[in-house]
Amino acid sequence: MSNLDIFGAILGFALTLMVFSYLIGDNPLFRVAIHIFIGVTAGFVCIIVINNVLLPRMIVPLISGSMEERLLAIIPMLLGWLLLTKISPRLATFGNIPVAFLVGVAAAVAIGGAVLGTLFPQINATIAIFDLTTSRGFDTNKGLQLVNGIIILVGTVTTLAYFHFGTGPQQANPTGLQSLLRGFNQVGQVFIAITFGFLFAGVYSAAMVALVERLSFIVDFLKSVLLPLLSS
Amino acid sequence: MKFPFSVAVAIGIGLITLAGYFLNIPVLQTLRMALIEWATTLAAVALLVGIANLFTIHWNKLTSGKVGGLYSAILIVSLVLTLGVVGWFGPTHTYSKWIFNNVQLPVEGSLLALLAVILVVAGVRLLRLRSSMLSIIFIITAMVILLATGPLFGISVPGLTELRSWIAQVPAMAGARGLLLGIGLGIVAAGLRVLIGSDRPYRG
Repeated sequence: MSNLDIFGAILGFALTLMVFSYLIGDNPLFRVAIHIFIGVTAGFVCIIVINNVLLPRMIVPLISGSMEERLLAIIPMLLGWLLLTKISPRLATFGNIPVAFLVGVAAAVAIGGAVLGTLFPQINATIAIFDLTTSRGFDTNKGLQLVNGIIILVGTVTTLAYFHFGTGPQQANPTGLQSLLRGFNQVGQVFIAITFGFLFAGVYSAAMVALVERLSFIVDFLKSVLLPLLSS
Repeated sequence: MKFPFSVAVAIGIGLITLAGYFLNIPVLQTLRMALIEWATTLAAVALLVGIANLFTIHWNKLTSGKVGGLYSAILIVSLVLTLGVVGWFGPTHTYSKWIFNNVQLPVEGSLLALLAVILVVAGVRLLRLRSSMLSIIFIITAMVILLATGPLFGISVPGLTELRSWIAQVPAMAGARGLLLGIGLGIVAAGLRVLIGSDRPYRG
């Protein structure tokens, strides 16, 4: 083990303990670790963005690209220069144009992605469960597949209904539609509770894996680095 | 009604990009790809502006002698050191990997590990403060999934694995699908508000 490796292990050990110190409450050691983390992450992100995006897509085409590539690279460069005016309060208005460009493209990509990547596939998947000629459901048994399909359909519709905010204020004598929506909301809440419970278990499992890994790192560090250092 | 140039840019560029998704016209699809490419490059510049802003804020905090100046100094030193080492040697060099493995990875792993404790505390608080039927369903579902994933003391309850599969593939999937559809519809609504100029988050 080289000196750099030993120093790295000591640094990792110290940072792990500093983060774990949050268990006794917010404290200066935890804040130091977090500020180091933010600085290092920002530095890494900055270099990776320059190396992987700006150099190959803007700088290299401008220096050594064909005339067409240069023309295509000039537009994001001009927009980029305009974006830099956001740093100055006097010139910040010019920065609205590239931000508007970004927002326009992002809104269109979000709509396209939501419609083609979420809405259509999810609706198709809900319909496909009722296609009893294929056995893509929970069980190949047709009857059970149909029951499960109905539960999924009811769960999907009632969960969506829970996010319907158009019922207005609660009345003493609700209309038939309002009572129906209220019933849908209550069933939807049960499905949401089950889904969040499932997601909670998944996140908790991932966090437990990380906890076990960190604890085993601490034990390994104490055995292999700290004890030999103290005994020598 | 005041209609600035930036609004025209957002609506025009947005509609051209959106048309490229849904209309099978080669020119529009090529335009969509070019616009997304430019937006990616621009987003990278925006990220650099953000990091420059982070640096400026902490530099001002450090030089003005405000409370927390020491933390700002630590952030600036770690940012400049990382920029220097990773920028000079490259992200895949041994020194860059050393920073990643011994600073970033331990803090990230420890923060995730901290989440395990915080989630347990949050679960117990939920049961103590709001012990409704829904919170009980939430906790029971989580317990069933966890016990079926990793049996406690090696004891496996018969039928628990099948119950876990059923929960994952039927009620949890139904709820997740409803949530996804709700999120999708919300995104479409928010995006359309931008594209008709009703929301203008770029004016500042």
